[in-house]
Amino acid sequence: MSMNEHTLKFFGEELNQLKAEVARMGGLAEAQVADAIAAVSDRDVTLAESVVGRDRRLDLLQHDIERKSIRLIALRQPVAQDLRRTVGAMKMASILERTGDYAKNIAKRALVISEAEPITPLTRAIERMGKLVAARLKDALDSYTSAELDQAMNVWQNDEEVDEHYNSLFRELLTYMISDPRMINSCAHMLFVAKNLERIGDYATNIAEIVHYEVTGEEIVGDRPKWSEVSREDASDPDLEA
Amino acid sequence: MILVALGKANAGAGLLTAVVLVALGLALNFRAPRRGGGRQESLTDAAPAAPTDPGDIQTYVSALELAPNPILVVSAEEPDDLAGRRIAFANASARDLLRVAREGALLVAAMRNPNVLEAIDDSLFGGQDRVVTYEPGGPENRFWRVRTNPLPGTPARPRLALVIMQDETDIRSNERMRADFLANASHELRTPLASLTGFIETLRGHAKDDEAARDRFLAIMGRQADRMARLIEDLMSLSRIELNEHIRPSGVCDLTVAVADVADALAPQLAAKDVAFDFAAPTKGEAWVAADRDQLIQVVQNLLDNAIKYSPAKGVVTVEVAVGLTLEAAAGFRPDARRLSAPDGGRMSLQTPTWSADVRYAILRVADLGPGLARETLPRLTERFYRVEGQKSGERSGTGLGLAIVKHIVNRHRGGFLVESAPGQGAVFCVYFPMASPTAGSPPTLKNDRNMPLTEPSGREEIKLS
Repeated sequence: MSMNEHTLKFFGEELNQLKAEVARMGGLAEAQVADAIAAVSDRDVTLAESVVGRDRRLDLLQHDIERKSIRLIALRQPVAQDLRRTVGAMKMASILERTGDYAKNIAKRALVISEAEPITPLTRAIERMGKLVAARLKDALDSYTSAELDQAMNVWQNDEEVDEHYNSLFRELLTYMISDPRMINSCAHMLFVAKNLERIGDYATNIAEIVHYEVTGEEIVGDRPKWSEVSREDASDPDLEA
Repeated sequence: MILVALGKANAGAGLLTAVVLVALGLALNFRAPRRGGGRQESLTDAAPAAPTDPGDIQTYVSALELAPNPILVVSAEEPDDLAGRRIAFANASARDLLRVAREGALLVAAMRNPNVLEAIDDSLFGGQDRVVTYEPGGPENRFWRVRTNPLPGTPARPRLALVIMQDETDIRSNERMRADFLANASHELRTPLASLTGFIETLRGHAKDDEAARDRFLAIMGRQADRMARLIEDLMSLSRIELNEHIRPSGVCDLTVAVADVADALAPQLAAKDVAFDFAAPTKGEAWVAADRDQLIQVVQNLLDNAIKYSPAKGVVTVEVAVGLTLEAAAGFRPDARRLSAPDGGRMSLQTPTWSADVRYAILRVADLGPGLARETLPRLTERFYRVEGQKSGERSGTGLGLAIVKHIVNRHRGGFLVESAPGQGAVFCVYFPMASPTAGSPPTLKNDRNMPLTEPSGREEIKLS
């Protein structure tokens, strides 16, 4: 009996360790995203280079978390919520690693963009969208560390704001490119920056889904609520247009 | 209160006290210049005197507890044991900011920023004093300077560090704002100023003796001067709001009464355009919100003003107040299928508050029957001086700052702001504010600290609290 209790306590500690490492990795990914956005908006070449350089740490952390999760599953054979938490940690690590990849990509583009003439209204728009996405990522990670289901659901339900920013930015970029072909190069890079930010926003939604699964044991059923399905079908999808 | 908490915390309270005493010494020294080894000496001198008198202990703990700066004491096991880094003590300000319990939470659950974690590690394991900056992100845009110091360990907790945070948001936002303000203001003031200069030249020149022209020009010049005055007033008020944006409003105010007051004051404009208000609200005394009255009035005024301005003559502006909504209910308040299904219509949030449990909102919804807005313009409405295409800056009487002001006030009040519109279908603006009890002098804060949720599910994990 006392053996058993000891084992259980030990297992709980290992799970906690895993979750703590995911939280730390989350903090790193958050910082990468924030710095990448700042590199674009402030035309900060040094910052962009350091974001690119730091990405490797996220890769290492992902491998580490994956290895530990697999070890935990193999040796402890967790069930029910313990299993969900272990698998959740693995999924989180992979999402955060890809988030970091997008941040790195944004930083690389920041290097190119800062070589061209500044287009302040556009970089401001990117900054606004970036702040929004960073805030969503923060909320999602907060809901993960606190296992706050309502907060996770709130992140999951409010993703159209990012989409609207993306669509608006897309139109604006097109206008600039049409009016002055010399801007096409940096505008194209900014378009990818915006697309990357949108993807990072999607990952925040995925994190919310993981939290939901981890806490309740059920996957979220159904589509995310959209204000209007009709207008979305009618509206031109920038992806398809492009 | 604190004594009870300590008693409950168990026999290890003595240890906490020793830690708290040393922490207090460092906290009071936050701005003091370094004095090399001397500081360390005085700290160790202070510690042994600590656990003798429980009355003193309580005083010191209360002192740390009441400190306006967020203060944490962090304990650690081994360097590679991430879950071993725990919060041994968090004062009230730290609990409020990081949403953690007084003690026991995992450090990474409260603080994920890699720079800060690294600085804490340097203090825990390297005995170093560090100062780093921390920007949590989110709608408030706060900026913190974080100072970490090693604390002398105890037999039970050999590794301890103190973390003190200093809010430097003001300094940062001041710098940024000065630059923006100058650029925007000078640009917007140039147009009316150019017009004034032009007319002055004309009046000095060939229109010198033309009485009719002179009267006409002076009338135009008067309008331009008014416009400049309005612009300056809006800019000043915007910059004032921004300065205080991270300070929570201290008053409470009845939203229904505020709306009724503004509506009364707008009677002349309504009469001039023959526009009517269709007003639906709960009775007086049901819509108390945590708000500064002046700023709440400004929000209502700007929204109703806009609605009248864009309303067609003989139109109706629907004004509605509702109470007791959750964040989800407020954000999804009464969507209109007609606008949403229109080809270029849409609805989006211009400002969403940070989610927190137990907060209920009161909402104001203002709908006009004006020309409406296309979906792609919606996210940009709160930008300063943003003008919808085809609307020249001289055409309307607005300054281009009204909705920016609304957004900043709403953000300061931890409220939300959303818009729904479609071309030709009018526009709807909703603002919602956290509700408050009419007697409370301050807005409701988070009722329960989140208590170590990382270990909550299984409950079989031993937590070393002290």
